[in-house]
Amino acid sequence: MTKAFSSFMPRSAAYSTATVIFALMASTACVSAKSLDGVTLTVASMNDGFSKVLTELAPAFKAETGADLKVEIMDYGTLLTKTTADFIGDTKGYDLVTMDIVWAGAYAENKYSVDLTDWVKRDAAELDLDDIYPVVRKSLGEYNGHYVAYPFAAYANVLAYRKDVLDAAGLKVPTTMEELVADAKKLNDPAKKLYGFVANGQKGPAVAQDWMQYNNQLGGSIVDKDGKPVLNSAANIKSLAVYKELFTEAAPPGAIEYDWGGREESFRQGMAVFMQTWSVGAPVYSDPKVSNIVGKVGIAVAPVAKGMSPQYGVGGWGLAINADIDKPKQEAAWTFIKWVTSKKIHKEFNMMGAGGFMRKSQMTDPDLLAKYDFLPVIAETYEHGNGEFRPRIPEYPEIQDLLGTAVNSVLAGAATPEEALGKAQDAAKKLF
Amino acid sequence: MRTRFSDRRKYFLFLMAAPAVLYVAAVGLWPLAQGIGYSFYKYNLLRPARTQFVGFQNYVDIFTDPATRRAILNTFQFTLFSVALQLVLGFCLAMLLWRDSRFNRIVLAFLLIPATITPLVVGLIFKAMLGADYGIIGFFLAEAGIGPRTGLLTDANTALWVLILIDCWEWTPLMTLILLAGLKALPADVLEAGRVDGATGWQRFHMLILPLMLPSVFLALTLRTMDAFRVFDSVFVTTGGGPNDSTNTLMMLGVKEGLQFFNVGFASAVGNVTLLFIALIATVLLLVVRRADVRINGK
Repeated sequence: MTKAFSSFMPRSAAYSTATVIFALMASTACVSAKSLDGVTLTVASMNDGFSKVLTELAPAFKAETGADLKVEIMDYGTLLTKTTADFIGDTKGYDLVTMDIVWAGAYAENKYSVDLTDWVKRDAAELDLDDIYPVVRKSLGEYNGHYVAYPFAAYANVLAYRKDVLDAAGLKVPTTMEELVADAKKLNDPAKKLYGFVANGQKGPAVAQDWMQYNNQLGGSIVDKDGKPVLNSAANIKSLAVYKELFTEAAPPGAIEYDWGGREESFRQGMAVFMQTWSVGAPVYSDPKVSNIVGKVGIAVAPVAKGMSPQYGVGGWGLAINADIDKPKQEAAWTFIKWVTSKKIHKEFNMMGAGGFMRKSQMTDPDLLAKYDFLPVIAETYEHGNGEFRPRIPEYPEIQDLLGTAVNSVLAGAATPEEALGKAQDAAKKLF
Repeated sequence: MRTRFSDRRKYFLFLMAAPAVLYVAAVGLWPLAQGIGYSFYKYNLLRPARTQFVGFQNYVDIFTDPATRRAILNTFQFTLFSVALQLVLGFCLAMLLWRDSRFNRIVLAFLLIPATITPLVVGLIFKAMLGADYGIIGFFLAEAGIGPRTGLLTDANTALWVLILIDCWEWTPLMTLILLAGLKALPADVLEAGRVDGATGWQRFHMLILPLMLPSVFLALTLRTMDAFRVFDSVFVTTGGGPNDSTNTLMMLGVKEGLQFFNVGFASAVGNVTLLFIALIATVLLLVVRRADVRINGK
């Protein structure tokens, strides 16, 4: 998941945040029955756009329910290690966990989290499920028909591009992968330190996740219909060749070392024309404190191969309840989930910069639209979204690692796509 | 019946040693035994339901899987070349700093700075400096057309050698310090006798200094070899084991399998193999130094 987002809050934003929190507290102060007085909920949260917002919302939740919310923010690897250790050791350290959508398989298989299916059915009206995009519901919460988590912060994979450069060259925003490749090469100008394209190249999750995105848009797939790995399928080999071509002919020389942070930094510094990214990072391009390209960036839906029906990458985080905690605590955690994902609070959650849009109503909300003009792109992405391009199976971490090595070795010129993916496929088969 | 004094003394000594024995058993032997036990299982914490006894299969996989074999070879290459370079450079620097003077003491203090920086930070610093787009070294190398266009750490032919040089930058001072301590402890009368007898500088070096320095060399070699064999931090932050598997090491493999995939069975096997290799290397070093000692000093 993207790690590039950082929040830099100007003074005006701080005031508006305080106002929002105050308003939320005031609007809920009249509720006299504080059913969760004395309860403390501990959330293990990924360090992403939403994590700081969660801590800022904690007073409002306490005012409404009486429960304290303790948010422990950590990086991706630490979150996975600490929460897994908590689940395995039955230590009940965390009541709620932000769950990356690719962990769903492992959660389901090991019953780490409370199966929320019955509660979702029971509280369907309150949850207003129809307002949440089906792809978000399915990929951020469900696994094999059961809710192992509840959708919390969804991200759309979008194309960020330099409007000024495209305008100067008289080019339109690419709508197909073929156009993207051609335009990236055409606009590549190393002498001016302007490169046509940038993506993650670093060995490991960084390059694996970015390539899987492009692979999806080029018609490739990591697993077949039965969920078995097909890493070296013809489509995958072809798409890896395209990815390599983009790196060789249009990317900054050091892109092979970039992870999410390096990729975003190079785009914000004005080094690249095209970059696919998670929507959560988009607001940062307009922040003059960290961006050299303020006012020069456009956001569009990601291109797909010519003739292919649109399917765009969807990712993000669900909120899962630790299955080890006792029943009353589970109910309290569910109360929090319902509260934070409710129409009203989730809108404020995004107004405060969480960047995890997932409700249809948010895409047409005037307040949100005034702040985030790219919401129609996210809506379009969700309408044709695919949350399975990174297979949500228990073996995902190992497959991602195999791909991380294979794709990186191709970019480094150490292997051909056929060799690298063939080797990865042989290793992947042993996992099943 | 009264116990004898010798028995009481025995019990007393046993009781005195008991805490240390218990401590070693709890933090050393028990985890080691657990690790050996786990290594015979296909055991993943994320998929506990699929746990099964596989005998020596994890060990067979370590030596038959090309990626794992590559990690073993990389580890040996890294250890051999980095320690050898550090020994040569460290000895030269120690000889230069042998004479006790204010200048040498100041130089030594500055020389030790790299060894005080944590390897993870060293890795991050070098990664930043060697980056082809922004790095203060990498950018100019790329502009000058020296080395790969994408940076020295991104090429399978150069990445491991760069890591060896980074390790030398950091740990040669430690090697120097150990060897310098050895030099300072050499018996002055023996060296003086050599000079009086008319031995040349080279003769004094290889006939007096080197033989007398063998214990210090053994200490420095053993410490650095064990350390280099367990290299992890700098590799993790600079290359992550890439490009391809060209800088993957045994510790990288073990940490990835154990803490990233929670593949406890295989990670335990990797840990045990690493431990065996280190024990083997230490034994070989000991034998070589002892044989040299016998040959040179005749004892």
